[in-house]
Amino acid sequence: MTTTLLEPSTKLPPSTHPYAEVIHRLEAGGSMLPDTPENLMQIIGLYKAYAVPMDFYWRDLLYIAEQVFLAPIPAFKYFPTQEYLDLPNHYAGDDADLRIWRGQATAHPELLEFMAKGELKAKLPKIFHHLYHDRINMEFAEECMRSMFWHRNMGGELEPYMDSEEYRQNADRAIRAFFKNNPVMMRLYKLFPDVFLEQCRQSTMTSVLGLFWEVMAPVFFEMSDIYDEGGFKGVPDAMDFLVNGIFAIAGRPIYHRVKIGDEWLDIVPKSKGFTWLYEAAFPYVEAVFYRTSPFRGTKSYNAQANEIPTDQNDFHYGILYADKFPVGSAGIPPTLLHQDMYHFLPQYLVDYYKKFCRGEDDMLIQLAVSFQRSMYNVTSAVIQAGRAALLYPLDDPNPKHLLANRHYFEGQLNRFCNPKYGMDKAAKLAMIQDQNYR
Amino acid sequence: MPNILSVLIWLPVLGALAIALLPKDQSKRGAVIVSSAVLILDFLLLRQFDTNIPVFQLAENLPWLENLGLNYSLGVDGLSLPLVVLNGLLTWLIICFCERQIKERSQLFQVLILLIHAGVSGAILSTNTLLFVLFYEIELIPLYLVIAVWGGGQRSYAAMKFLIFTAISGILILAGFLALGWLTANPTPIFDYSTLQTLTLPLEVQITLLLVLLLGFSIKAPFVPFHTWLPDTYVESTTPTVMMLGGIVAKLGTYGLFRFCVGLFPDAWSLLSPYIAVWAGLGILYGTMIAIAQKDIKRMVAYSSIGHMSYILLAAAAATPLSLIGGIAQMVSHGLVLALLFYLVGVIEEKVGTRDLDVLNGLLNPLRGLPTTSALLILGGMASAGIPGLVGFIAEFLVFQGSFTKFPIPTIFAIIGTGLTAVYFVILLNRTCFGKLDNATAYYPKVSGLEHLPALILTGIIIFLGVQPIWLTRWSERATVQISDRLPINEVIAHTNLKFNQEV
Repeated sequence: MTTTLLEPSTKLPPSTHPYAEVIHRLEAGGSMLPDTPENLMQIIGLYKAYAVPMDFYWRDLLYIAEQVFLAPIPAFKYFPTQEYLDLPNHYAGDDADLRIWRGQATAHPELLEFMAKGELKAKLPKIFHHLYHDRINMEFAEECMRSMFWHRNMGGELEPYMDSEEYRQNADRAIRAFFKNNPVMMRLYKLFPDVFLEQCRQSTMTSVLGLFWEVMAPVFFEMSDIYDEGGFKGVPDAMDFLVNGIFAIAGRPIYHRVKIGDEWLDIVPKSKGFTWLYEAAFPYVEAVFYRTSPFRGTKSYNAQANEIPTDQNDFHYGILYADKFPVGSAGIPPTLLHQDMYHFLPQYLVDYYKKFCRGEDDMLIQLAVSFQRSMYNVTSAVIQAGRAALLYPLDDPNPKHLLANRHYFEGQLNRFCNPKYGMDKAAKLAMIQDQNYR
Repeated sequence: MPNILSVLIWLPVLGALAIALLPKDQSKRGAVIVSSAVLILDFLLLRQFDTNIPVFQLAENLPWLENLGLNYSLGVDGLSLPLVVLNGLLTWLIICFCERQIKERSQLFQVLILLIHAGVSGAILSTNTLLFVLFYEIELIPLYLVIAVWGGGQRSYAAMKFLIFTAISGILILAGFLALGWLTANPTPIFDYSTLQTLTLPLEVQITLLLVLLLGFSIKAPFVPFHTWLPDTYVESTTPTVMMLGGIVAKLGTYGLFRFCVGLFPDAWSLLSPYIAVWAGLGILYGTMIAIAQKDIKRMVAYSSIGHMSYILLAAAAATPLSLIGGIAQMVSHGLVLALLFYLVGVIEEKVGTRDLDVLNGLLNPLRGLPTTSALLILGGMASAGIPGLVGFIAEFLVFQGSFTKFPIPTIFAIIGTGLTAVYFVILLNRTCFGKLDNATAYYPKVSGLEHLPALILTGIIIFLGVQPIWLTRWSERATVQISDRLPINEVIAHTNLKFNQEV
């Protein structure tokens, strides 16, 4: 599987954009990430390392959204039942709706092994691993969900729907059913209905993210397998696989249902026609890769301090802007994810990291940079998918169409050049062009 | 052990000669053996030392040039003992752990460090003033070489400046001792310290000789305004050199102050002490103010040294038993803390490649920073600022407690200086250790356990002496009482003090 970079039949004059080199690469069907064997190895290795905890994230997110729901003291929400660990992924296994990964549909074996023994490599009661924080950091997944929930107006129809009367009625039905044997909570619901409704919306967003990652985990597993088989020849190949995957899966229904007793209650029914690409993928990339919010305590929210943007659209604390050091420059604590990925790194990546900087001692930092590279590649795939959906082919003979494509690419990259609030300096696009950025 | 003091002086000299003849690959081992043996001897000396005897112990006396009054006379008392041990400790740390900082001609460096050690030990243990000057001058030669051969780009300039200043210091001290010897000649000049203590000179002569010696030792310490050689020399020197220079060699200045200025001219000292106290107070404030303005962390630590040495001057000016104990404790404390800070600054410079406060940032970062080094730097800064529980606190507290009753206003200056010390260390630590590492440049090599070891040893001693200060002060209690008892308390001096305090 090889993608050769296109040489457009009709040439435009060179771009004068600060990231002209990246624009030209995107116009040729490439990625924001330079096409080097090292980059390919890093991003694929990271996809694999990301996919294993992601396999837990999506299962537990669905468990939280569907079973924990509005439990007043959700102390065991990070302990998904066996039912959810065995939940067949719709995109893996023999019975898949669309088989993206050739592997198994139930929880990944490496994940199960880690859940049993953790980093301690000792089989202890789950609660000990949990309290010792020797576990998958679901806090990261929940922060991603909160980011998607907090950043509004990112397109899609789900958000207006969650403010609709129909959603309110569905939620009301689910809340009443959930608390039917709990008079205290029922009373509180009557007193503060909006609080419960907002919690219900958050639960819906939890389900959305779970459904999003249910797709991404097998995509990343499959990419890792293809790479191991020598299938990808370059970064554009990997990006192309993602673009194709995005289009193949774009129409996957997004829904939210809650299991109360033996009954499933729909809060966002599948029949509403909300789809994966517009309700989950695009908002996820926007909220998590670009925006999120400053890590608590690192920026002042005082308006007079002028440290954070007044407009949420200008938030720039996502992974594409994140500091590789665990100092909390990014809203979602990437260190939690880095810790999760650290447990599942393929050996070739471990060997690679050992050769640079402080070897094993700062592997989390090197891993963070690889993750940043891989997420720039995923963002490139989304940008290319957006271009393919909304604009013109890259080899279009019409110069006007190519110019429109260029304006689109430049518009996307302008987000990394905005001097407001130091966004241009925070963006790591320039740094990932350098292989020595580790 | 008989003649342990001579062994402490001549073992490093003989060791240095032997190391110079050894093959290059064996010189390090030889230097480690010699310096370790000297340190063990220092501990034996501690065991043999009787804290109840206020005068010189383990005395050795060999006639040498009797007609000149120059004899090979050695002895140790509560004033010299802590410095002898500090000298041994710092030399051992430098020889054993700091060799990596010396990229070329390490064999010569080891030889020179051992010779400096011997010179410093000789000066501290001499009970003959001419012998003191002899050792005091001899150590200048290897010291000049270690500054001039190894170090920064301006090392030649710094070494020459250091040599000129300290040579002038030596000449002044020599002139003072010669004049003292000749004025007390009977018929041969007297240079024996204990004998000189028993003689009485006219007050005018005492004052004149005191001023000459005070000037000489003030250059060596140094005190403001004779400090201008210090920043250049400290900054241009390598880490081991500056540890030796700031940690112990500069203490020869304050040692001379206590031993000779206070010890030999008590009347004159009492008369001048109010002015000296004000000088000390201003020196403390000046040093700290200048340190606050620095952008180079090594220079900042260097200027901090100027302020902290002035605490010792204040203690000497007050000359109460408590202040004198505090002064001696401050010499040791400052030696330990300064050596620690310079070592850590050296590690930072070695790993990060800069000492610029505007560039350094986020070194506490646990994965790519220098977290242990930064933590130790914070502790060193706390010790320097006199935070309780660390050795700096007890030394400064004793100085303040001992000086306040006699010179309250200069002591308040000193206390303010301690507060300002905290200010520049907070600036240093805030800029260096906290904040964010730069994504583009932070590829610093790791600091190994062995590289941390000298700092950990110094830190351990700083904490131990901070929580068990008796191990620092017990050696000097009797000696300081003896020095203090020699100072006259007469109405003239009391009146002078009163008048002075009213004026201030």
